[in-house]
Amino acid sequence: MLDTAPAVRAAEGRPGRRDPGPARPRRHRPWPYLLIAPTLAVIALLMFWPMAQIALMSFQKVGNRQLAGAPAESVGLENYRSILSDELFWQSLRSTVLFAVAAVTLTLVLGTLVGLLLNRLSRRMAALVSAGVMVAWATPPITAAIIFTWLFGTTGGVVNWLLDLLPDALVGGGWTDYNWFATPLRTYTVLTVCVVWQSFPFVAVSVLAGLKSLPAELLEAARVDGAGAWRAFWAITFPMLRPIFLVLLVLSVIWDFKVFTQLFVMSGMANRDAFNLSLYAYSEAFGGMNAKLGLGSAIAAVLTLLLLAVTAVYVRIMVRQGEVS
Amino acid sequence: MRFFKFAATATAIALAVTACGGDGGEDTAGGAPARLNVWMMGEGTPEQTAFLDGVEAEFRKKYPDTDVVIKYVPWPQVATTFQKAVASGEGPDVTEIGNTDVQSHIAQGNLADITDKVKGWSEAATLNKTALANDQADGKIYAVPWYGGVRGVWYRTDWFAELDIAPPKTWAELVAAAKKIQQEKGVPGIGAPSDQTNAILSFIWGNGGEVAVKEGDRWVGRLDQPQAKEAIDFYTGLVTVEKVAPEKYVGKNELQGPQQDFALGKLGMYIDGSWALKEMKKISDKDADKWGVFPIPAKNGGNAPVMAGGSDLAVWENSKAKDAAFDYITVLNNKVNAAKWADYSGFSSMFTDVKFTDPKLAPFTEIAANTKMVPLSAGWGDFEQNKKVIPNAVKAIMQGGSSAEELAKANKQADELLNP
Repeated sequence: MLDTAPAVRAAEGRPGRRDPGPARPRRHRPWPYLLIAPTLAVIALLMFWPMAQIALMSFQKVGNRQLAGAPAESVGLENYRSILSDELFWQSLRSTVLFAVAAVTLTLVLGTLVGLLLNRLSRRMAALVSAGVMVAWATPPITAAIIFTWLFGTTGGVVNWLLDLLPDALVGGGWTDYNWFATPLRTYTVLTVCVVWQSFPFVAVSVLAGLKSLPAELLEAARVDGAGAWRAFWAITFPMLRPIFLVLLVLSVIWDFKVFTQLFVMSGMANRDAFNLSLYAYSEAFGGMNAKLGLGSAIAAVLTLLLLAVTAVYVRIMVRQGEVS
Repeated sequence: MRFFKFAATATAIALAVTACGGDGGEDTAGGAPARLNVWMMGEGTPEQTAFLDGVEAEFRKKYPDTDVVIKYVPWPQVATTFQKAVASGEGPDVTEIGNTDVQSHIAQGNLADITDKVKGWSEAATLNKTALANDQADGKIYAVPWYGGVRGVWYRTDWFAELDIAPPKTWAELVAAAKKIQQEKGVPGIGAPSDQTNAILSFIWGNGGEVAVKEGDRWVGRLDQPQAKEAIDFYTGLVTVEKVAPEKYVGKNELQGPQQDFALGKLGMYIDGSWALKEMKKISDKDADKWGVFPIPAKNGGNAPVMAGGSDLAVWENSKAKDAAFDYITVLNNKVNAAKWADYSGFSSMFTDVKFTDPKLAPFTEIAANTKMVPLSAGWGDFEQNKKVIPNAVKAIMQGGSSAEELAKANKQADELLNP
């Protein structure tokens, strides 16, 4: 969550910067920089320094002896070579990407729909619904993961019980003992439900905030011209809120790429076929008594590079669109 | 956009919280330290704290000026906590260590050599010899066994009596018993979860197989040998061939289904230790008086050797108060406290002459007569708990993989991981 505020602030600032406004002579003012300096210093200390360490360690052998003080020896590209030739790495990468695509899509669609709903509800109902969805957002990941493991469990799990009650013609039979964590596809189905449930409220509330800032006349005019809800959304709402959607997209991609806690609780180390990159990195780096922090760093570096690439692409699209409109 | 303000505030709070402080213990050199840091594994319970308070009171009769500080380390954080202790030099004085991790710690030089101290401790004479062997390297002793647990097959004495089944003595009888229960009682005959290395080992050993053997100074995998393959085929076959074990435990351990189902009367048999009794009573004690235990059978009769899981006690190499630390161990694990601890925890004491008070747990004393240690390699922890090589292979086979291929892969991993 570290990166929420700066990214959102950037989005907020964007429309203002495009606004031509009264021409003023550009002067070099130190105040803005001084004001963000403490934040930058903290972020640099807590994020950039560890990131630099990870980059360095990914080229080194760092085990228990090195942790105890022995100098780390450089191994060149050995760590990268070793993970890239590991079948499990590619399998984890595929799971990570496919999961992110599914979860991000569902989160954005569901979040937007709920945001639109909130915008149309009366003040009191909107307060009730947003309080409800915020509970999901505020639930700690580990709590959510344990709850979902129980819901989808075989002994006393509500989901299997419910599916079994439904008519067999609708959902098929034999749900009582259905093992939701037996195969990667099933595990990721539960994981997607859990992660989407937790992350759509943020999208909903952000979209709502954007909708509140839309001039009502535009939508009214569209309605007068005979545009339905679908048309009005794509012709007016979406283009106007594009910056917000882009930020939400990038943030969701970042969050869903690095999901760890929920998967660790749901299927853990005994199901390596369901690993994602985070679990793979954890298993290589910390899992045993013989730490291999160099190898773990290399996986983390690959994950970071992937995220940076995704972010860069979208930031670029965002800037381009800013120039066009 | 009040929401964004909220998000920004939350971020600021998160940043502030991460900047937490560390703790450090000050020790005086030798003699009576001002403070003795004791690390216990697990979450800790009020009962355990009360037990340890009693131990501290007894310890302070000899060290009135020493403050004993207990720190509980939850099992999932054990590896990282010890890594931090090594990296920062801020370790414990006395620590509990999972017995499969002892060799890793010795190899890393984390534990003090306590050979002479153990030899001067009169009660040490009746310590379990197999367990003590696991605490040694190059003829020196680095830890002492504290408690251990062996596994047996929990079953329903009333169902066995009703269906006229005798406790199985061979694999064939085990399958026959499971089938009969499944037919007559309408519940799965036996639980065979894939993530239960220790139980699976008993089947491999009960067929004369091995995970790995030491040749020279290298561990060589034996999982691809016929005995091991036959045992794995039997265990996975409980699910795939005989269909007496349900598919719903694939990918899970004995606590993620089998234990609950057995306690609730929805499963005929499952493999677990003596400590399971108090957990099952918490789930449902309706049928508790009908639960019984028999040893895991070997293929052609007799008890299969069982892995003695458990914990040991060690003095940390960087401790500045090694004498006081060892004295604490001799109080914590004197025979009176050992008996109290066994009854509270449900784990067997590692003194051969300290027994459980509850007669239901008596079979475990018989089972414990035939224990076997896993390969004494510094890489076993990684092989068993982190990479979970056997559970992942067993899972793949239960889901239709070829046992020859999966075991060949697992064997290759054993060759790598057991020679770190």
